Amino acid sequence: MTTDDPYFIDFPARIRAIQSAMAKEGIDVYLGSRLRTLSWTLDAFAPWRSFVVIPAEGLPTAFTFVIDAARLEDDSWLDEDHVMGFAPMGGQDQIELIADFIKEQLPPEKGRVGIESGMSNYLPEGNLTHYEYERYAEALPGCELVNAHTIVDRLATIKDEGTINRFREASRIVDIGHQAVLDALRGGGWKGKTETEIAGLAAHAMRKAGSEWEWSFTGGNEIASGYRTGLVGGACTPASRRELKAGEPLMVDLHAMFKLGLGDHAHNYLIGPATDRQRWHANNFTDIVDLTLETYRAGITPSDLAEQMIGFADERGFADYMVPGFEHGIGLMGDEWRIGLNDGPFPYWTNPEHEYLCGELIICAMQYACPDEDIGFRYENPIVLHEDRCEPLSKFPLSIDEIT
Amino acid sequence: MNFVTSSMSNIYLDCPDGETRYLLFRFENGEFAELLLGQGEPPQAEFKISGKYETFAKITQAELSSHKALMTGKLRLKGNIVKALKLAAIADRMNKVLAKIPASY
Repeated sequence: MTTDDPYFIDFPARIRAIQSAMAKEGIDVYLGSRLRTLSWTLDAFAPWRSFVVIPAEGLPTAFTFVIDAARLEDDSWLDEDHVMGFAPMGGQDQIELIADFIKEQLPPEKGRVGIESGMSNYLPEGNLTHYEYERYAEALPGCELVNAHTIVDRLATIKDEGTINRFREASRIVDIGHQAVLDALRGGGWKGKTETEIAGLAAHAMRKAGSEWEWSFTGGNEIASGYRTGLVGGACTPASRRELKAGEPLMVDLHAMFKLGLGDHAHNYLIGPATDRQRWHANNFTDIVDLTLETYRAGITPSDLAEQMIGFADERGFADYMVPGFEHGIGLMGDEWRIGLNDGPFPYWTNPEHEYLCGELIICAMQYACPDEDIGFRYENPIVLHEDRCEPLSKFPLSIDEIT
Repeated sequence: MNFVTSSMSNIYLDCPDGETRYLLFRFENGEFAELLLGQGEPPQAEFKISGKYETFAKITQAELSSHKALMTGKLRLKGNIVKALKLAAIADRMNKVLAKIPASY
């Protein structure tokens, strides 16, 4: 990829930035294991347990399960000497192989090795496990293992143009998925369709448009109909085999991936005939989404925004139906949920006082749920924060479409 | 696999006299360039396969496959396994040639 490619990311510069931060913190070798770190440094999707070893100088070396090592090398910017496979063979298991490799980068029996430890509500986070930590500590006698993930977290907070353009393209693809769903539902097309079928036809349209996969670990495309849209606090709805029904809401939350950039946009429907009460809920939701998008900008904090939006919902009499969160973090594949650094009142959750900076990219995520009436709506859209506004990347028109 | 440039040393631990020995092969651009037999620390090689003398003896006498020896940890490979897999066919042929050399154990 050339520097004038819209999706160009300067990965060698990222490695140099990590190495500079390592030097400041006295870290000799960085052992990355989180999926977000792997994506951010390798420019390749690493679905199997993988590691990246970043020395004090020079190129990083990636390690992954041998069955996927050649593919990872083919996709990444690194050459075959810097992508290694591990396997259950003498000298080739991940602990021995990587520990031996790290030792070659360090003076005999000493050195500080940065690792990635912590916790996450995101299952594929990839922190070093307790077992791995103990085995590496044992295999690296005399070395100090220190938690260093903040180095990558800090550097990854502001997104560069190539990253944002990848998200723009993934969002464009998601919009194609939404159009395919709308086209399939119209004119009675919804009759007999199931949630899984909606998920599949959207996936087909998005893959035709170039999406690599429906990346979300929540079951790919999340589709909910009827009472499933209104589950209490529910913002996770893997598609079920439930058939769409007249008079019910339908929530369509699609995910596409383009070069590790992630599209994530939810659109909502009322399958007709809709009642005035359903339309009241629908208007509440589109109004609060509009206001939220108008309010997001650099300088605001999650708690400021939540306070303003819940205030609005309270005035309009629907605060009881709003889940009081309006965002989640996002980055290249594997970087999901927490926004910014691990510096909030609850370890490894978003700091509600995090002050957004220009160039941050988050998912504006809102959930409306009224379980007593079996109705709910979801909005998700990647937004780039600018000084005086936010830029929603998915352009599919905001509305709750009534389908007949 | 054409015009291969690589090197591999077999490291024989616990030889009958208690010493460590090595057998090193080097290929350059597809040509067999060097064969070294020695004692002690082997020269640098792209791949190092180490194991006990008796393990190598069983492999050469076809009593144990090199694959099984690796899978069970009786042999230890040092080097990039992805590249090693590309060269596996060559290594197999080398082993077959070695097996034809009359030897006593």
